Amino acid sequence: MSARRCVLVALVLLLTAASAALLPGSAAAHPLGNFTVNRLDVVKVSQDRVEVRWILDQAEIPTFQERDRPQASVLAAKRAEALRGLQLRIDGRRVELQARGPGTIELLPGQGGLKTTRVELLLSASRSPGAGEVTLRDATFDGRLGWRGMIPIAGEGVDVTSSLPAEEPTRRLRRYPQELLSSPADQREITLEVKPGSGALTAPRAEGGGVEVTGGGGAGRSADGFAGLFDDAASGQGVLILLMLAAFAWGALHALSPGHGKAMVAAYLVGARGTARHAVILGGIVTVTHTIGVFALGVVTLALSQYLLPEDLYPWLNLTAGLLVLVVGGLVLRARLRGREAGHTHGGHSHAHGGHAHDHADAHDHGAHNHTGHGEHSHRHGHSHEEEHHHDHSKHGHSHVPDSLRPRELVAAGASAGLIPCPSALVVLLGAVSQQKIALGLLLIVTFSLGLAATLTVLGLAVVYARGLSSRWRAHGNASRVLAAAPAVSAMVIVVVGFVLTARAIPDIM
Amino acid sequence: MSGRYRKPAAVAAAAFALMLVVLVAVLGIGGGDEPATGSAVAKGAARTTQMQIAKLEAAARQRPDDADSFVMLAAALLQSVRETGDVSAYDRADRAIARALKLDPSNAGAHGERGILRLARHDFSGALSDGRRARKLTPGLVAPLGVVVDANIELGRYQEAERVLQRMVDLKPNLSSYSRVAYYRELQGDLDGASVALALAASAGGAAPENVAFVQVLMGNIELAQGRFPQAKRAFDAALARFDEYPAANAGLANLDAAQGRLGPAIERMKRVVERLPTVGYIITLGELQLADGREQEGRRTLELVAATQQLLGAAGVNTDAEIAIYEADHGDPKQAVKLARSSWSSAPSVRSADALGWALTRAGMAREGLAYGRRALRLGSRDSSFLFHAGMSAKAAGRPKEAERLLRSALSANPAFSPLHARTARKALEDL
Repeated sequence: MSARRCVLVALVLLLTAASAALLPGSAAAHPLGNFTVNRLDVVKVSQDRVEVRWILDQAEIPTFQERDRPQASVLAAKRAEALRGLQLRIDGRRVELQARGPGTIELLPGQGGLKTTRVELLLSASRSPGAGEVTLRDATFDGRLGWRGMIPIAGEGVDVTSSLPAEEPTRRLRRYPQELLSSPADQREITLEVKPGSGALTAPRAEGGGVEVTGGGGAGRSADGFAGLFDDAASGQGVLILLMLAAFAWGALHALSPGHGKAMVAAYLVGARGTARHAVILGGIVTVTHTIGVFALGVVTLALSQYLLPEDLYPWLNLTAGLLVLVVGGLVLRARLRGREAGHTHGGHSHAHGGHAHDHADAHDHGAHNHTGHGEHSHRHGHSHEEEHHHDHSKHGHSHVPDSLRPRELVAAGASAGLIPCPSALVVLLGAVSQQKIALGLLLIVTFSLGLAATLTVLGLAVVYARGLSSRWRAHGNASRVLAAAPAVSAMVIVVVGFVLTARAIPDIM
Repeated sequence: MSGRYRKPAAVAAAAFALMLVVLVAVLGIGGGDEPATGSAVAKGAARTTQMQIAKLEAAARQRPDDADSFVMLAAALLQSVRETGDVSAYDRADRAIARALKLDPSNAGAHGERGILRLARHDFSGALSDGRRARKLTPGLVAPLGVVVDANIELGRYQEAERVLQRMVDLKPNLSSYSRVAYYRELQGDLDGASVALALAASAGGAAPENVAFVQVLMGNIELAQGRFPQAKRAFDAALARFDEYPAANAGLANLDAAQGRLGPAIERMKRVVERLPTVGYIITLGELQLADGREQEGRRTLELVAATQQLLGAAGVNTDAEIAIYEADHGDPKQAVKLARSSWSSAPSVRSADALGWALTRAGMAREGLAYGRRALRLGSRDSSFLFHAGMSAKAAGRPKEAERLLRSALSANPAFSPLHARTARKALEDL
C-alpha cells in the first residue's frame, strides 16, 4: 500500500511538475455542470483581524446570463451578494464584514466559445486580540448548484483550531476533482477557535478521521498524499525502510533524468581526469549540497508563504522565470555568435566560448528539466563542451579543466550538481514540516540525495576505469566538429523557451 | 574557478524562480482523493440523497471489489440528478456503472442502472438492450422492466410497451409501475385514467421523497391540462411541501399562474426557477411567458440562453431532442428544426418525435408533410394541447380548414390557456378560418 502510494506520489509529482510548466492556466470544463456557481472562502484569522477571501467561479450559463452587463456592475452585484450572504460571528456576536477594495473580476474562456466568470473579493472585520471563537456562515448563492468550499488559515500571533480541513483540492476553484468516489464539497459554515500563539493551525484531516497540525503560519497547504505518507512511515518500521528505499531509488533514477545533464558533466569530468577517490568525494559533496539546497529553498518558500498566498505569487514567478530565461538565452546566444566569429579569426581562442558554453549548459539544463525535456540535447552539449576543453587546455594556461583535478574544482563541480535541488525533494521536506515530522523528511531527503550521488559516483567510477576508451573516443574529430554547432542551436532553444514562458505568463497577470 | 561560476548567477536566479513555480504548482495541487466533507445543510430531501451518496462512496472505497457497492452508488447518483438537476452526476454514475460491470460483467443491477442512464441521455435503443439484458440475467428483478417500458415508449413501440408494462404492474404495483401506467394512459388521451394511476402511485410511496413529489407534479400538470386550477394548485403545493423549492413544482405553479392570466407573477416565479436551474425546458417556458407578456426584448434575450446551452451541448456532442427541434421551429431556424426533428424521428419514432417533426416541417413551409406527421403524433388518441395545436396549424397551412378547425378547437377546449403564447395564435387562427 505505502510503496504503491509512494510510487504514485512520485509519478504525480513528476507529471504535475511537467504540466505546471507546460500548460497555461487552462480553464477546465466544469465537472459540476455548465450552470454551476462555485465558491470558496479562505478564512484567515490573525490577532486583530478576520480576513475572508471570497472566490467565485461561475460557469458558462450564468456568465452568459450576465452577458450584456458591464463588468463593474456584475462585480458590484457579486460584492453585494457576498456582503449579504456572508455572516460572520465573533464570540457569538454578529460582526459586519467590510469589503477591502473593489475586488477583481475576469472573464475566462470556457466551453463552446462561451466565457466563465471569476471573482475574488477580500473582506475583513476587526477582532479584539486574545482568545475567542470565529464562525463564518456562507449563504451566498444558496440554492444554486456548485462547489462550496471553506478553508482556514492561521495568521500571525494566533493558534487556530478549525472545524473544517485546511486543504481543498480545487486549486482555488481552478480545477475540480474528477474522482468517482468524491462528491462536490458542500461546506457552508466554519468555526475557528482562536488563541494567542505562533500561527499553528489545527484542522481535521480531509479524509477520514485524525487531526492535522500545520505550523509556522503557513497557508496550511500540506498535500494530503504526503500527510498519509508520513503517517504510514511513522506507524511501522518496515514501511520506513520501504520509504527510504523508494527515496534512494528515486534519487538514483532522478540523476539520469534530463535536468541533470550538468551533473553528468561533473561526473564525467571527474572520471576523465580524477581518481576513484575523487568520484566518491564528488558523491559526498553532491549529497551535502543537495540537502542544503533543499533546506534553503524550503525556508525561503515558507517565509514567502507567510506574506502571500502562493497563487498570488504564481503568475509573477512565471513571468519572472520566463523573462530571466529569455534574458539569459539572449546573452548566451550573443556570446555564442561572437565566440564563433572569434573562433574563426583567431584560431584556437575558444576559451571565452568554453566559459559561456558551460553557462549555457546550466540554463539549458533548467529549460530541459522544467519544460521541454531536451535531455539528449544537454547531454550532447556536455560532451561537446568537454571536447573543446580537451582540444584547448594544452594551449591555454588558465583553461577550465586543468590536467589534474584540483580540490576546489571538485567542490565546485559537486556543488553545481547538487546546489539546485529538484523540486520534488523540496515538496517532501515541506510536507514533512507541515506534518511536524521534520526528522523523517530530512532522512528521506538525505536518502534521496544519496541516491542521486550514487548514480553520479558510479558514473564517475565507470569513466575512471574506462579511461582508456575515452582517449580513443576523443579521436573522433568529425563528431566534435558537428557538435561544435550545437551550442548556438541550444542557445536558440533557450531563447524560444524563455519567450514561450513569458508569453504564457503575461495573460495571468493582466 | 570563480570565473566559471560567476555567470551562472543569473542562471541560478532563473532556476530558483522556476523551481518556486513548480513548487507552488505542486503544493497547490494538494491531495487528489479528498472526499467532499462538510456540514451538508442541503435542502430537505436532496440532503438525504447527498448523505446517502457520501455513505455509499465510503462503502465503495472500503470494498473496491464489490460491484454492488458501485451499483448502489450509481443509483443514488441518478436519483440526485432528478432532485438537483445537476447533470454532472450522470458522468459519475456512468463511471460507477462501468466499474461495476468491469468487476462483474453479468451484474443485473449494473445493466439496469445503465439503462436508466441511457434513457436520461436519450440513447433509447441502448437502454432497451440494457433493460432486457438485466431482465435476462436476473428474471426476478422488476426495476429493469421499467427501463424496457420507457425505452419502448420513446422508440414508438407502444404495443410492446403496453405488454411489458402490464407484466410490471402485475408483478409490483408500486410508484414506478403506476406512474408509467399514468403516462401511457395520458399518451392515449385517457386523462382521468392517468389521474387515477397517479393517485395510486403517490399512495404507494417512493424510495426517495422526490419520487412522490414528482408524481404530484405530474398530477398537477394533468389537472392543469383539464383546466382544473384549484386541484392543480393543490398538487403543486403538495409537491413543494414534500420537496422544498422543487423546480418542477415551481414551474407548474408558474404555468398555473399563466393559465389564469397572471403573467407577471408567473414570470417572477419562472425567473427564480431558471436562476437555480437553467435547463432548456425551463428557459423556454420563461422566454415564452415574457414574449406573451409583450416583453419582446426580454423574451428574446432569455431564449438566447437556449442557443448558448446548445452551443455547450454541441461542444460535448450532438443533441437531437424533440424539445430543441420545437424550440428551433418556434423561435429559431425552421430548417435546422427539420434537421433535428428528422434525426430525432429516425432514432426514436415516438409520437413526441412525430409532433416535433410535423411542426418543424410546417414551419419550414412543408405543411403537407408536416400534417402527415402531426396526424401520426395523434395516432394514439393523445389530447396533448401542443400536439393538437401543431397539427391544427399544419392542417390550416396545408389547406385543410375543416381538420384545422377541429384540431384547434380541441386544443383550446381542454385548457383555453394551454400556452401563454400559442393559445393566442390558435385563437387567431380559428378566427381566420
